[in-house]
Amino acid sequence: MDAFYLIKIGEILLKLGNRKEFENRLRSQLNERFRKAGITHKIEMYPGRYFVTVPEENAAEAQFILSRTPGVNGYARAKKTEKTVDAVLAAAIEVARERLSRGLVRFKAESRRSDKSFPLGSFELSAKIGEVVLDAFPEAKVDLHTPEFTINAEIRERAYVFADAEPGMRGLPVGSGGKGLLLLSGGIDSPVAGYMMARRGMALDALYFHAYPYTSQEAQDKVIRLARVLSTYAGNLALWTVPFTETQQKIKKDAREDLTTLMMRMGMMRVAHLLVPRIGANCIITGESVGQVASQTAENLRLTESLTDYPVLRPLCGMDKEDTVNMAKKIGTFDISILPYEDCCVLFSPKHPMLKAKLERETEVYKSLNLEPLLVEALDKAERLEIK
Amino acid sequence: MTYLDWAATSPPDSHILAEAAKIAADSFGNPSSKHKLGREAKSVLEDARGRLEAVLCARSPVKKGRLVFTGGGSESDAIPLLAVLRQAMNARRDGSIKRLHIVTTEIEHAAVYEEAHLLKALGLDVSFVEPESDGRVDPQKIAAAVEKDTALVAVMAVNNETGAIQSIAEIAKAVAKAAAAFGRKGPRFHVDAVQALGKIPFDPEEAGVSSAAFSAHKIRGPRGMGALWVADASPIESLALGGGQEASLRPGTENIQGAWAFAAAAQAASTSFETRIAHARELEARLMEGIASIPGALALPAGRVAKDPRYSPFILSIAFPGLSGEVLVRALSDAGVAVSTGSACSSNSKKAGRRVIEAMGVDSPLALSAIRVSTGDFSTCEDIDLFLEAASGAYRRLKT
Repeated sequence: MDAFYLIKIGEILLKLGNRKEFENRLRSQLNERFRKAGITHKIEMYPGRYFVTVPEENAAEAQFILSRTPGVNGYARAKKTEKTVDAVLAAAIEVARERLSRGLVRFKAESRRSDKSFPLGSFELSAKIGEVVLDAFPEAKVDLHTPEFTINAEIRERAYVFADAEPGMRGLPVGSGGKGLLLLSGGIDSPVAGYMMARRGMALDALYFHAYPYTSQEAQDKVIRLARVLSTYAGNLALWTVPFTETQQKIKKDAREDLTTLMMRMGMMRVAHLLVPRIGANCIITGESVGQVASQTAENLRLTESLTDYPVLRPLCGMDKEDTVNMAKKIGTFDISILPYEDCCVLFSPKHPMLKAKLERETEVYKSLNLEPLLVEALDKAERLEIK
Repeated sequence: MTYLDWAATSPPDSHILAEAAKIAADSFGNPSSKHKLGREAKSVLEDARGRLEAVLCARSPVKKGRLVFTGGGSESDAIPLLAVLRQAMNARRDGSIKRLHIVTTEIEHAAVYEEAHLLKALGLDVSFVEPESDGRVDPQKIAAAVEKDTALVAVMAVNNETGAIQSIAEIAKAVAKAAAAFGRKGPRFHVDAVQALGKIPFDPEEAGVSSAAFSAHKIRGPRGMGALWVADASPIESLALGGGQEASLRPGTENIQGAWAFAAAAQAASTSFETRIAHARELEARLMEGIASIPGALALPAGRVAKDPRYSPFILSIAFPGLSGEVLVRALSDAGVAVSTGSACSSNSKKAGRRVIEAMGVDSPLALSAIRVSTGDFSTCEDIDLFLEAASGAYRRLKT
C-alpha cells in the first residue's frame, strides 16, 4: 500500500508573476530530498494543492521530510477516492476511525467543492459526513466550535479526504531566495540564523574557522553535526573549514588586546567576502544580534561590514536570546551547540573588548596588521565538505 | 605513540588477558551453583581473592579484613559512600533521613567528590577540607572537621593529578582521636587507593582505615574490575541488593576471569617493587630537570622537587603559563605523545576549570595551563626526552 499526502502551500500562492518558478523549486527540493532518502515517490501538482505518494514503509521518513522542507505550509495523510458520494463517505469513515482510535472524539466536517458537477453541495456533503460518522461510531460527537479533529473533504480533479494537517516549515522553497554563506561557529545562534534564512528560500553554504590546536577536533565535529541538522531544513550544503590558527596568532601577537576580537571578526568577514563569489552566493549570513556580546554593537557591526560589499544578513538581530534558544531547541541544534567544546572566539577573547569601534581608526589598525596574505592563504587551504 | 598517561589507564598485560579469557571459557560455572562446575569457579574466585589480599595487605601478618570484587575503582568508592545514605535511613524509623555528616576533601577523584555532592543534595552534611599549597591535606584539619554525627571520612591515598601522597595512617589516628573527644568510636574512614596500588607502599589494614578502593586497569589488569577492602570491624550495608554475592556488598554473578586477572596483575606489580619505584624516581628526576630548562614551564605544586617522598614519582603536574593545557595535549598528541590535562575521567564534563589544582591555591589561568604526565613500567628515559622536546617546541609555537 502507498502513503498519500496532500501538501498545503502558503506564501507561494501570493507570488503572481513567477509562481511557476517557485513551484518548480519546491518540486525539485522535494525530489532531491526524497531521492537522497532513497524513497521512491511521485509528486503531482495541481493549482494550490500538491500531492506526494510514497511506499507505506517510508511514511515516517516522508513526514520528516515534509515537515522540514521550506515552502510546505502543512501536510496531511489523505485518502484519494473516486468522485462519488459513496466513495467519499467511505473514506471519511476511515479517517474518523483513525482519529477515534487515538482517543479523539469531538469532530466536525468541512467540505470544498471546486468541481460543481459533484451531486452534493459543500454544506450537504459536510452534513452527510457527520451523519455517517455518527452512525458508524457511537462514541463520536459533533462539535463545530471546539472540535478535536476535522474531517476535510475536497472535490477537485479527484476527491480527497483527510483529517487535520500537520504543520510544515512554511516560508519559501530553498533556492528561490538565492544562496547565502552562513558563518557557522558552533554556538547557539548561527545555526538558528541559517535555519531562518533557509526558510526564506535561501540555499546555504556554511563557513567555519578552525584554529587547531587551539580549538579541538571535537569542536569541528560539532560544527559538522550542526551543518547536518541544518541540511535537513536547507537541503544539500557545503561546509567550508578555513584554517585560522596563523591569523589568530598574528592578531594576538600584533594587535592591542582590546581589539583582538574585532580584528578577528574583520578577518573572518574578509574571508567570507572572498568565498561568496566562488560558491555562487550573493550574501553573507551571521548569527549576530545587537548587544549579544560586547563586540556586537552597531559601531562594531559597521566596522566588520566594511570588509565586504555583499549584504550581511543578520536574522537574529532583533531577537531576544531566550527566543533564539527556544528556536534552537525546536530545530534540534541546541543540544549540539551547548556541547562543551570551545570555538576559537572564546579562547582569544580579551577581558575588555573595544565596544565602540571608530571606522577610520580601526580600519587603519586592521590594514597595519596586513592580514590579507594570511587570509588568502587560509582560504586556499580551506576544506570543502559536502553535507548530505 | 609515546605513552605518558599511565594514571589514566595502563596497557594491559596481554598474557594475563589471554589466560583470563581461557579461565572465562573453562571455569564458566556460577560460583553460587552447588554442582562441580560451580564449585570449580568458586575455587578460582576464592584463590584470586586470597592472592589479591596477600598483595594489598602485604604488610599485615594477620589479615582481618574482607576483600570484595567490584566493577571498578569508582564503584568501590560508591559502595561505602552510598552506605552512609542507608545508615541515615536506618537511623530513623519514620522514613526520614538523619542528617549524618561526611568529611572529605576538595581534591578527591570525581568518584568520591561527585558522590559526596549527591549525598549533600540528598540532605546529608558534607565538609570539604582544602589541601595545603603542597597538595597534601593536613590530618589535623580533617580531625577538626569531624563532628558528633560524622559517619564517614573519605580521603584519597595518592592524588591522581598531582601525585601528592596523603598521610593516611596519621589521618586515621587523628580522626579516631577527634571522635573519642565526642565519646564515641571513630567514624568509618574510606580511602580511594586507586593511584596507590603498585605505586607506593599502602596497606589498608596497617594504615588502620575502614575501607579502601582499588582498580585493576591502572596496574595493567583488565577494565571493569575493582576491589573494595573492608575492615571486619566496620561492616557496611550496600544500597544495591541482589543475590548476596561478595558479602552482599556487590551483588551480581562474579567476574571470575576479571578477579583472576586482577590478582595476577597485582602480583606482577608487587614483584620487584623497589626496583620499579627507583626507576620511576629516575624518570621523575629527568622530567623535572627537563621542565626546569623550558623557559616559563614549572612543576606543580611549586615546592615539589625530584625524589620528594611526599609525591608519587609516577605522576607529575606541569604548568605551561600562557598555553591552555587542553591545547598542549592536542599538540602533543599530534607530535605522538599521549598525556592528559587533569583526570581523564573528568575531561568529558562540562565544568571548566581545574578543581584539584585550584584547590591548592593555584590561580585559575595557571591551573588551566597544567597537564599531567604519568609514567609506568614501560616508560623510558627516551619517552621523557621525546616529551620534553615536543612540549618545549609546542609551547614556543603556541604560547599566546
